[in-house]
Amino acid sequence: MSRHISRQTITRWAPLMVLMVLVGFFTVINPDFFSLRNFARIAIASAPALMVAVGVTFIIVMGSIDLSMEGAVSLNAVVFAFAFLHFGGTLNSWGWLALPIVLAFGAGFGLVNGLVHVKLRIPSFMASLAMGFIGTGAAILVTGGNIVKVDDDLFRGLLTYRYLGFPLMVYMAGGFLLLAAFIQSYTRLGRNFYAIGGGEELAHASGVNVQRVRVAGFALAGMFYAVAAVLVVARIGQAESVSGANFMFISITSAVVGGVALWGGVGGVWNALVGVLIVGVINNGMVVIGLPDFIQSGMLGVLVIIAVVLSTDRRAVAFVK
Amino acid sequence: MSTFIKDFIEREKVSRRNFMLATAAGVTTAAMPGLFGSGVANAALTDPALAWSYRDRASAYWNAIVSGGETFVESLGKTKADMTSLINEGSSEKSLSDIKSFLAKNSGNCAIACDANDSPNARPVAEAVKAAGGYVSTIWNKSDDLHPWDIGNNYVCHLSWSGVKPSEEAARALFKKMGGKGGVVHVGGIPANIPAIERLQGLMNALKDFPEIELLDVQPADWDTQKAAALMSSFITRFGDKITGVHCANDNMAYGVIEAFKAEGITGVPITAFDGNPEAVEMVINGELLATVFTNPMWGGGIALALAHHAAIGTFVPSEEPNEHREFYGPSVVISTDDVKEFKARFMDATPTYDWNDFWGQSAGAIVYN
Repeated sequence: MSRHISRQTITRWAPLMVLMVLVGFFTVINPDFFSLRNFARIAIASAPALMVAVGVTFIIVMGSIDLSMEGAVSLNAVVFAFAFLHFGGTLNSWGWLALPIVLAFGAGFGLVNGLVHVKLRIPSFMASLAMGFIGTGAAILVTGGNIVKVDDDLFRGLLTYRYLGFPLMVYMAGGFLLLAAFIQSYTRLGRNFYAIGGGEELAHASGVNVQRVRVAGFALAGMFYAVAAVLVVARIGQAESVSGANFMFISITSAVVGGVALWGGVGGVWNALVGVLIVGVINNGMVVIGLPDFIQSGMLGVLVIIAVVLSTDRRAVAFVK
Repeated sequence: MSTFIKDFIEREKVSRRNFMLATAAGVTTAAMPGLFGSGVANAALTDPALAWSYRDRASAYWNAIVSGGETFVESLGKTKADMTSLINEGSSEKSLSDIKSFLAKNSGNCAIACDANDSPNARPVAEAVKAAGGYVSTIWNKSDDLHPWDIGNNYVCHLSWSGVKPSEEAARALFKKMGGKGGVVHVGGIPANIPAIERLQGLMNALKDFPEIELLDVQPADWDTQKAAALMSSFITRFGDKITGVHCANDNMAYGVIEAFKAEGITGVPITAFDGNPEAVEMVINGELLATVFTNPMWGGGIALALAHHAAIGTFVPSEEPNEHREFYGPSVVISTDDVKEFKARFMDATPTYDWNDFWGQSAGAIVYN
């Protein structure tokens, strides 16, 4: 048995080590960073982003890319808010119906996304970007530019009611994360994602219905975008046509920082979790230590590069696109 | 022996005489328009096509601007569809190219109102409209060295709203509510935007008179609700109970700040905002917000288009107007708990009517550069 830790092990654990180094770094500069309350704040900010990152991880593992999350989250948030208000506006009456409705709608939107990509043979980059624009446009059309407020105290309890220091929405995100991990590791669909990502021709030759798995992947991602939308509405109490803004950058960055390889076949939802936490810790930490705002963007970029460098096994990459 | 190659070379050589004649003809053609002066641009247009160029409809503010433009168009006896919306989604390049397409489609017979999206883009827009013979008035974004009177009649006017004074007034109301002491944080807009810079400046001006109030930190949240919620959470980690007041650069971010406090179970911290959106006014009424600032975007949207239209059809000649009619501030009203009910009755429950021929009646003075 070799006494040296293999390079592979290091790259696998690098993202988690980066996360711990960052937490230590910020705590040394401002000890208030390392408190349960602050971790709860990071968790609240990261919960919607985690759902989007998990959804896009499935797509990236397949070897494709999904850029529709901004429009999808905006449209899903608006659909959820309208459905919730339509069914009585409170969880006490029929308002809870809005949740399965939006999950189905999100999955349907992702399904259309996948069909456009697979059936019309449009590269996933273009197809999903276009669907994202359609989503944003539909959200603007439906809201007319206005904000839709969701004021129900029971629903907002997702944010205000805490258990062991963390609000319920964090547990909701955690529950869906466990579901995603189950799908990834213990279902045929999940294994097929990796098969396609690792070698599409091989998978096809082995009898995997690549087209069907692709479409199913996009639909699954769409469902997770719907969960993210519900969490966004829970967090800020309103749905608007810009609810999905900024999610594209943060989700794909988180996935890559956490160790999901953009060329497919490598990584999974736990990598997405670590990546989202890294980005969340950086964003929160920079304000907590009092870094001037004009340096923050630059610092975020530098830290992201360092994290990706550490978590990529560069010798295994033949060429970088 | 075939002389094909020799003939071919002879034909391909441009004879020097032909070359000189062709150049002379080309230069003369290019110079022709300039020889006759810029007479085309000053002719009055008939029934110019109307357009509003703006970022998007995803906020109550821009919705009000657009509805102001539509109200003006309806006052001319036309329908809402007669006002074209040129939506630039926050891209200066798209803003410019949309306007150029609109000018080309209508052969320059246009009256356009435009928010150029960022200051440097105002000049290309004004010059493109002038070159096509149309008329444009701009709002909000313009570089300091660009003036309508330097471009000519085609650049009718620039309308802006001073963020400094009203933001300063809101800050003073905030400090009074804080009892003259404590810690305040500023949640700012996109740092390169002029409104963000001005509203922060207003806070800094007010701070000079309150030495016992400490400015804890200033960070941008890019006019976004979710970013503001995350930023406020981080502020609470860093400063905790030291925060006794929050100064926000717009209403959307204030909503995020309120949610961040709600998540922590913190109540009673006064917050000021800016924009005067209907939701924000309701929040001032029920005490969640201390104050906001109303800039009457409906009037602004209508009057910018009205000015471009009337300059185009010759109702007035811009070059004969004084400078303060070509660069002026719109009205800003600070709404706080004392006057909010009256404001709501006048501006929200009843749709106000405006005299679109009274161009400068609500002007708050000439634009000042410092």
